[in-house]
Formats: sequence, C-alpha cells, structure tokens
Amino acid sequence: MTTAIRVMVVDDHPMWREGVSRDLSAAGYDVVATSGEGRQAVRIAAAARPDVVILDLQLPDVSGVEVIHGLQTEVPGVRVLMLSASGEQQDVLDAMKAGATGYLLKSAAQAEFLDAVSRTAAGDTVFTPGLAGLVLGEFRRLATAPPAGPDDAAPKLTERETEVLRLVAKGLSYRQIAERLVLSHRTVQNHVQNTLGKLQLHNRVELTRYALENGLD
Amino acid sequence: MLPVRNSGLEAPLWRAIAVYRIAALAYASGLVIANAGDYARPVWAWPVLAAMAAWTVLTTYGYADPNRRRLPLLVADQLVTMAALTSSLFVVGENELAAGTPTLTVAWHVSPVLCWAVGGGRRAGITAALAMGAVDLIVRAHWDQAAWTGTVLMLLAAIAVGYLVRIAEVAQERLERAIELEAATRERERLARDIHDSVLQVLALVKRRGAGLDGEAGELARLAGEQEAALRTLVAGRQQPVIAGDDLDFMAMLSPYASPEVTVSGPADPVLLPAHAARELLAAVTAALDNVARHCDPGTKVYLFVEDEPGEVVVTVRDDGCGIAPDRLAQAEAQGRLGVAQSIRGRLTDLGGRVRIVSEPGEGTEVEMTLPRTPIS
Repeated sequence: MTTAIRVMVVDDHPMWREGVSRDLSAAGYDVVATSGEGRQAVRIAAAARPDVVILDLQLPDVSGVEVIHGLQTEVPGVRVLMLSASGEQQDVLDAMKAGATGYLLKSAAQAEFLDAVSRTAAGDTVFTPGLAGLVLGEFRRLATAPPAGPDDAAPKLTERETEVLRLVAKGLSYRQIAERLVLSHRTVQNHVQNTLGKLQLHNRVELTRYALENGLD
Repeated sequence: MLPVRNSGLEAPLWRAIAVYRIAALAYASGLVIANAGDYARPVWAWPVLAAMAAWTVLTTYGYADPNRRRLPLLVADQLVTMAALTSSLFVVGENELAAGTPTLTVAWHVSPVLCWAVGGGRRAGITAALAMGAVDLIVRAHWDQAAWTGTVLMLLAAIAVGYLVRIAEVAQERLERAIELEAATRERERLARDIHDSVLQVLALVKRRGAGLDGEAGELARLAGEQEAALRTLVAGRQQPVIAGDDLDFMAMLSPYASPEVTVSGPADPVLLPAHAARELLAAVTAALDNVARHCDPGTKVYLFVEDEPGEVVVTVRDDGCGIAPDRLAQAEAQGRLGVAQSIRGRLTDLGGRVRIVSEPGEGTEVEMTLPRTPIS
C-alpha cells in the first residue's frame, strides 16, 4: 500500500476546517495540519511538509498570493488547491498567477471537491468555467496592454489552447471537449495546464523585472 | 416662493455681495462729497447717504442668515434701493442728471440685482436687472451710450451670477451623490467581509454536509446551498454597474444572474459597452435564459461566458439540457414559431451583431451572440 497523500487545510472558519478535514480523512487522505491564519500556515507547512494545501482565498492576516509565495518557498513543489466562498475575480486570478494549481468554489458538491483534491494531488490543474473565463480574459489583456519593458513579450495562447479554454469556460467537461475536438482526455488536460503554466511563467518574469527595477539598483 | 437653494458656494456668494455693497457705498459716498457742490439740494444728500449706509448694514446681517434670504427681504431690498436711486431726481436735480452728474447711488443699486440672481437664479436676476435698469434710465433721463451701458452691464452680471449659482448647485449635487456612493460602497464592503466570515461559510457547510442525505435533511441542505449562492452574489458579486462616461460594465450587469444553476465567466476587468447596447444584449441573454427555463428540465446547468475581443464582444449562453434537433430548429424558424430565437436575433441585428445557435439532441443548446464594437470616432 502506498503512503497516504499528506494534506493541509488552511481556512479561517473552524467549522469548515473540521468538516473538510473529516471528509478528507474519510476519503483516505492524511490530514497533517490545519491552520486558520496565513502566516501560521506557512510556518506549520515548513514542518508538516504537506503534498497538497487546501487554501481559503480570504484569510484574516495576509493575502492568498502571499501565502502561496510563502508555501512555495518553504515546501518546494507543494500543490495548492484554492477554495473561495465567493468569486472574487481579480483575487482568484492573482492567486492562480502566483502559483496555485487549482481553484474551486466552496459551494462545490462534496464529490466534486474530493475529485478536485485527487486531481490536484496527481499534479493536474483544476479549472472551473469561471477560471477559464478569467484566464482567457487575462491573455487578452496582456496581448493588448502596452509592453512593460523593451524585451517584454506578452505570452500567447495557441489556437488549440484558446479553443480548449473557451470550451471549458462554456462548461464542457474534459471528456466532452476531448470528444468534440477528437483529442485524448490527457491532451485536453495538458492544454489547460499549459495555459496556466504560461501565465505563471510570465508572472515570475514580471516579478523578477520588478525586483530588478525597484530593489536592486 | 423662491426655491430653497443650497450649495457649498451659496454662503461665500452672499458674503461677496455684502462686500460689493459696502465698497459701492464707499465709492458713492466719495462721489457725493466731490459732487455735492453741483447738486440742486445738497443738504438732502446726507440723509439719503445715511439711509443707504443703514440699509447696507441691515442687508449685510439679513442676507447672512439663510432663513431671511427670502422673498420679503429681496423685495424690500429692491424697493429701498429704487427709492434711493429715485431720490437723485430731487437731490441732484433733473438738469444736473441730464448734464451727466452721477446718481446718488452710482453703482450701489446693482447689489439687489445680484441678490436676486443668487437667490432666485438667472431669470429672477434678469427681471430685477431690467426693473432696476428702467428706473436708472428714467432717473438719468438722458439716453446716451453711457446710460445704456450701465443697464446692460447690470443685466450681464445678473446672467453670469445666475449661471454660476446653477453650476455650483450641479457641482454640489454631484459631490453629494459621490459621497453617498462612497459611503454605500464602504458599508457594502464591510457587510461583505462580515457575511463572508460567518453566514456564507455556515450555509456552505450545511449544504456540503447534507448533500448526500435523503428526505428533509437533503432538502434543507439544498435550500442552504441556494441561499449561500444568492447571498454570495449579493455581497461579493461585482458592484453596481460602473459608469464610465455613458458605458456600462456588462460583467457587473450579468453577475446578479449567477446561481447554483447559472455560472457566469469572463474577464476580471470590466467589459464596457455603450449603455443602450449593454441593455439590449442583457435582454437577449435574459431571453436565452428564459428559454432554458421553459424548455429544459429543472436543474439544467447554464453557462454564461463573455469574451472581450478588441473588435467585438462575444456572449455565449450554453445549457447542458435536452437540446433541439437541427432540422427542428430550422423548421421552427422557417415557420416563424421560434419566438425566443427571433427576439434574440432581432435585438442583435438591430445592434449590428449576429447570433449563432448550435444544438444537438442530448448535447444542450449554445447561443453565441457577437456584438461588434463601434469604432471610437
């Protein structure tokens, strides 16, 4: 038997935290830690070394983006599944760009939630139709926004990637998309993952440029 | 009765008129002293001057009180000033006036005209200026350019001041509206935080824990889920349509439609459309939603997807319901029975856009509405 996947739950609501932990334990996950605050979560994660962090986007102390950066520094390779009780558009997008690997609304059904956790643990990205719309919008914005620097190249989606994301945004499942475009389920998954990868890479380049321009001269 | 006017500029304007009246009184006094030798009855100049000074003091205090800036004081001001002006006939003498000696009031008689303009707006100011101008012309009794110029200047001043007051009122109104909006937004954000921290989480939890249960518990969970979604849209959904010039944020207009059955997706930034186009497009989307509600099973999921391209805005309404066979769709359309599709098509055609409806039995229906952006001219 393989060792259970180590999961950490970060949410400022104790009832929610307990409920989710119970569900995860029942589904065979090893809940190694829980936390109600962002800074504390980063400290605990360094010791608990989770594989997957279930992270509430709105924490009382620090922003989701800061928690994600902290987690990545302390636990390289950690996967973050974000949950939010509300579709805070810009916050969701920022957290995804910062390195979260999946996003789900808190109102998602229990089965949907557990499926998302297992996919996150397997290294897949978890997209909602809403997130696909946000990512498409962000690529569109980057393409039309004036470049930030002389060597700044806005990331671009291939035609296929755009096609896949549009179908995700219209609520089609990966299986339906694969059928419609005559692709394998895996290929659809890869296309979605690539779009997020491009956005996160661009974000890291931007952050480095910002640091060079504002901090190191 | 004069409308009660109120703007931040009101009080300074009344003070400015008081200062003008005092300055005009000082100038008139100077000219009376210089010209008294030429007057027909110089002795009477001093009581008139004293009365003018008293009236100046009285009105300065009177107009300083917002409750007294009413019709009685304005009428009294106009009449007293006219009387002072008319007394020039007796004191200065008709011949001297005709020869060009200034009236006793010189420029002091403009003050009530300005008061009318501030208190009653442009029209009241013009009326007061014409009345005062007529008296001035009759008193001076010579019809040269200088006499006319005085009256015309008074008229122009009344128009300018009346206009200024109106602008100040509009500015004040806008400022008040902006402050109200800001307060409302802040309050809304505070509520959203509180509700997010408590009610939303509990409702979501109830929905989750009870989702697998049968009977009443399952029903309660479903209700909790519905309320959670409704409340989420209410507090954390996008704010009221952002008004940027005459444009509306289409995403903000769509957000109230989000529910457990309806997913809204699109860019994080506002999707701005001219107000008319945005409302028509929203009506088309609503028609598509109604169509789903009418023809598909309850619980059918609907996805609203907005794309903001540089040249056009594309809105897709897709449902995962039963779908329509393509030949049936064409048939119904040919027979003019497809009321909803026609209402959607009609609206989009009026806006210069187009509609594409794709449907397969068992595959749901997809209505894609494309609205070209009119070039910025």
